Amino acid sequence: MSATGAVRADAVADGTDLVEAYFERGWTDGLPVVPPTRARIDIMVEALGGDPAFLECKVPPRWGSLTREVLAINLVMAGCRPDYAPVVRAALLALTQTAFNLNGVQATTHMAAPLVIVNGPIAQRIGMNAGHNCFGSGNRANATIGRAIRLVLLNVGGGTPGDLDKATLGHPGKYSYCIAENESASPFAPYHVDKGFAAEDSTVFAIAAEPPHSVTNHVANDARGVLDSIVSAMSTIAHNNAVSSGHCAVVLGIEHARTIAGSGWKRADIRHYLWDRARNRFGDLAFEHRYGRIHNRNLPAWYGRDLESRVPVVPSPDNIHLFVAGGEAGRFSAFIPGWGHMSNPVLRGIDGAAPVSGPVCVDGACQL
Amino acid sequence: MTLELFDPRGVVEAEARALARRPAALAGLRLGVLDNTKWNANRLLRGATAKLRATHGFAAVTYYRKESFSKIAAPELVDEIAAANDVVLTAIGD
Repeated sequence: MSATGAVRADAVADGTDLVEAYFERGWTDGLPVVPPTRARIDIMVEALGGDPAFLECKVPPRWGSLTREVLAINLVMAGCRPDYAPVVRAALLALTQTAFNLNGVQATTHMAAPLVIVNGPIAQRIGMNAGHNCFGSGNRANATIGRAIRLVLLNVGGGTPGDLDKATLGHPGKYSYCIAENESASPFAPYHVDKGFAAEDSTVFAIAAEPPHSVTNHVANDARGVLDSIVSAMSTIAHNNAVSSGHCAVVLGIEHARTIAGSGWKRADIRHYLWDRARNRFGDLAFEHRYGRIHNRNLPAWYGRDLESRVPVVPSPDNIHLFVAGGEAGRFSAFIPGWGHMSNPVLRGIDGAAPVSGPVCVDGACQL
Repeated sequence: MTLELFDPRGVVEAEARALARRPAALAGLRLGVLDNTKWNANRLLRGATAKLRATHGFAAVTYYRKESFSKIAAPELVDEIAAANDVVLTAIGD
């Protein structure tokens, strides 16, 4: 007996080009989808624990109901293997936590897209790429997990460009924006362990984010030198953190991470140094008041507003989310600005994993 | 022999609600102004309020602020606005 059947299925004539049929209905991210069959949907529902009518969450701004069957359909369309399903589900449960404000992320004129970073053993088990070109193309797990998330945001969430998605420009991560932390090559504790999960647990971290900004440094052989380049990338008035505060991410390349670790610095040292040094002059943010007096209510009340005040890029070192990723070769890192105070990143255990210590977490998800 | 197309959108379960009746005139009513905290919302709303006030003569004008332009207003704030006002003016100002 089929596990599915609740979802409406239109009968079309044998010989119909199904890829074109999905395009015609607008049920795509602009790329050809894998046409779901009953058999493939059933396998995917089983991978999600059966019970096809089980409601996982509702997805704004359309607030469509994401049942396991609907999720399974989108997973098949994206090209996922069944063992990717728990990662996609955890990511969508993280994105639909109130703190993330997916309604705003989907609808904003800003280019933000949810970035998902996977930690723990599941990343290696399903073959995710945490190494060379991890933000780029070429790996099925990274590509299709991110794509499945996007298809759900489009199909169930109604984030259709120009309709409920009002992004002025968008960015390429709106096709797929998903990597794993390179735990095996990192000299530091994994991100999720830093946040209170056990190393053998697997998690998804989600942040509404701009694209990665490359940070090059082929000169410095100590922590301060490498980090000063990241400080430079952070200290501009153009990204959204500068004017809207909130959270951001920093991804250290392997060579940079090893250089920093060689100076004896730990994760907390890195985050505190970046927070302390990355600053904008308030006068630059206010354009010297030449377009009218600017206070900027979206920056914390405690920031100085004198023209010469040096204001932080994010309000606290804890608002800098630090990961290590990339290939063995290359002295590059990345700064990834967030959307702003309007969205809070979420860290969530996969398949019910809960933190053993650390921040306040409810129902397996932590508001960061 | 036929093929099947599966709808990937999920069902929307929503209740349709009618809009509030429009008042015939504004004179003597209590006006609430809801600032969503966007960059220029304050400026836009204060200008619009001044013009409306000069034309219609409200009984009272009360200014409110949302915590975040991107999030819905807190339910307590909505209740407070509904209880203390007859009409509400809001806008975004990017």
